[in-house]
Amino acid sequence: MRANNMAAMILAGGRGSRLHELTKKVAKPAVHFGGKYRIIDFPLSNCANSGISTVGVLTQYESVLLNAYVAKDQFWGLDTNNGGVYVLTPRETDDKGLDVFRGTADAITQNIDFLDSINPEYVLILSGDHIYKMNYEKMLAYHQRKQADATIAVLQVTLEEATRFGIMNCDKDDMIEEFEEKPAHPKSNLASMGIYIFNYKTLRKYLLQDDKNPDSSHDFGKDIIPTYLNDHRRLAAYRFKGYWKDVGTVDSLWESNMDLLESNNQLDLGDQGWKIYTENINSLPTYIGDEAKINNAYITQGSIVLGEVKNSVIGTGAEIGKGAKVVDSVIQPGAKIGEGAKVTRCIVADNVEVAPGAVLGSSKSEHIDLVAKKYAE
Amino acid sequence: MKALGIISFENSQANVGGLDDYRPVPAISFLGRYRIIDFILSNMTNSGIDNVHVYCKEKPRNLFDHLGAGQQYNINSKRGQLRILYGEKSFAAEVYNNDIANYMLNMQYIEEDSNPYVIVAPSYFIYSLDFTNVLQQHIESKSDITVLYTNTSEAKEHFLDCDTLTMDKDKRITEIGHNRGKRKSAAISLEAYVLSKNLFIELVKKASETSSLYWFRDILNDSLEELTVTGYGIKGFVGCINSLSEYFRITMALSDRATAKGLFKPGWPIYTQTNDSAPTIYGKTSDVCGSVIANGCVIEGTVADSVVSRNVTIRKGAIIKNSIILPGAYIGENAKLDHVIVDKYAIIHHVKELKGTAEEPVYVKRRDRI
Repeated sequence: MRANNMAAMILAGGRGSRLHELTKKVAKPAVHFGGKYRIIDFPLSNCANSGISTVGVLTQYESVLLNAYVAKDQFWGLDTNNGGVYVLTPRETDDKGLDVFRGTADAITQNIDFLDSINPEYVLILSGDHIYKMNYEKMLAYHQRKQADATIAVLQVTLEEATRFGIMNCDKDDMIEEFEEKPAHPKSNLASMGIYIFNYKTLRKYLLQDDKNPDSSHDFGKDIIPTYLNDHRRLAAYRFKGYWKDVGTVDSLWESNMDLLESNNQLDLGDQGWKIYTENINSLPTYIGDEAKINNAYITQGSIVLGEVKNSVIGTGAEIGKGAKVVDSVIQPGAKIGEGAKVTRCIVADNVEVAPGAVLGSSKSEHIDLVAKKYAE
Repeated sequence: MKALGIISFENSQANVGGLDDYRPVPAISFLGRYRIIDFILSNMTNSGIDNVHVYCKEKPRNLFDHLGAGQQYNINSKRGQLRILYGEKSFAAEVYNNDIANYMLNMQYIEEDSNPYVIVAPSYFIYSLDFTNVLQQHIESKSDITVLYTNTSEAKEHFLDCDTLTMDKDKRITEIGHNRGKRKSAAISLEAYVLSKNLFIELVKKASETSSLYWFRDILNDSLEELTVTGYGIKGFVGCINSLSEYFRITMALSDRATAKGLFKPGWPIYTQTNDSAPTIYGKTSDVCGSVIANGCVIEGTVADSVVSRNVTIRKGAIIKNSIILPGAYIGENAKLDHVIVDKYAIIHHVKELKGTAEEPVYVKRRDRI
């Protein structure tokens, strides 16, 4: 495949601490979603579908599983001759010793030698923990049309939500005039999605300059973008329409799983023209027992359903025992729900065993219960 | 393992009515997400066989598409090789397109291979087996040829037209017969043979000189006196997909978890090509029980005691019972199917009811529109 001259760098170092036990041993991008996927499958598949051949994945927190996972670039068809997935972790260097990534921009700065070796014309900065489908090639065409130094993908949110995002204030041509991080009184509803396209040569200069600034927090949103604006660089906002979720909490992870149950849901994972790829697990199709009852569910192969499933997402290799009742819940891969157990409004974490007859969660709970103990009674 | 794997093709009696009009038997969809060839090929690669020849009798496109270079079967792409060998010759008549003729056409690839042994097995027998143990026993027994078999007490109904083995008390095979469904019990040959590569080549050449209609089983039958040919019985699930009714029966049998456990064993994955399908959506009006369902489906109707393959749509009010729906098929609103096999991408729209029996399931053709 002949690829475009844009390299992608996926920031996948964060813990996602509000996911609690789900990210105790794996970084947030490796958390399972939709029964068979991991969150990072979304940016990786988007890259593959957008004709990007070189993808760097920057990892830091609990990265053993994540590093091994993304290194298998054949899962996403990224194992081409001139490209691939490159796992980039903090490393010991001759001049600086061993340093962790101090911020999103610093993670890229510390890998400037890698980018130099690729020598791309454009660099696409992505986050490894967002769920969405996006054609970055279209965004690049827009970036070129706007003759911008940088283009930032933005999402229209409500003014209420805008207080939680980095907000772009733009002129009538969608060129960014001002950037406000979590403004109390937002002037616009265009929220940054943390997706940037930069002209590499310019970005390189700014990164090296930022690296020397002792007052910088080395962050794209807080430091690099404001400096671009101060220098009157051309920054374009690229309006994205469609499904986009940053699943930062147990509740929001549950919600976006539930979104999949709506027929004609916006994410539409069944879209043959924009598939989301993931690990190929050699499992059987779903076995559904004679006494099973299934109503409004999203179930992936390798699972066994002998009991009742309602409004729920069932992951690879999960088992729902006889007489068990799973309602409004997300059962992550490999979890087993014992006979007669009742699970309501829960996320049952990977490989957890729920004891027979156990009653977990409640239909009246304000928040979603996370069941993460190896054996839950 | 020091053996070359040779996946031979089904004997000439095999006729999986309708399904094999569009594809060779090894490439027929099976149990929701597999193809028939996945089982023997996974057995071989799980046994550490890294060099495999797949002989294709006809219509090779499906097989090339499905197998590719074989990475999905866990074949080491540097040290191993999966070769799909097609006759590359048009035979004057169907009868000349036998296994021996195809081995002869590809003899140089068999001779070139450095493995001292060959394990020959067709894909239409479905079972799960570690060939490491078979080869070891073959070597220890000092037999010339080891033939796999399974004992059945249902020879009147199943394994019809398969080879039967008569063995003495040391399991030496004295006669190879034919199962015409006359007797209840029989030792059914799995048409799988373990022997040294040199002997294999010798027998193939001899068969070819003897008669251009000879199959490998014929030259084997001729050699029972001069060679020591020993049976190796296997336990667990064995099925032979040589007819549409057996395809139907075996699929249905494996949709029972207890039966499936005799085929799908822990630590013994059955590989297949991934299709990157999303999970299956079970709608608010769905009612599904006693079934095997692959990914990528949208189910809004009722499904009972059936096998539904990838990317199938079943609309509201449809009732599917005792049926096999192959990939990409569309079952419209209120359609009622009982004992039906719906081939790939068929659309059932206006016909409201189709009903077959276990012995004679109704077959709906590929890409058919009814």
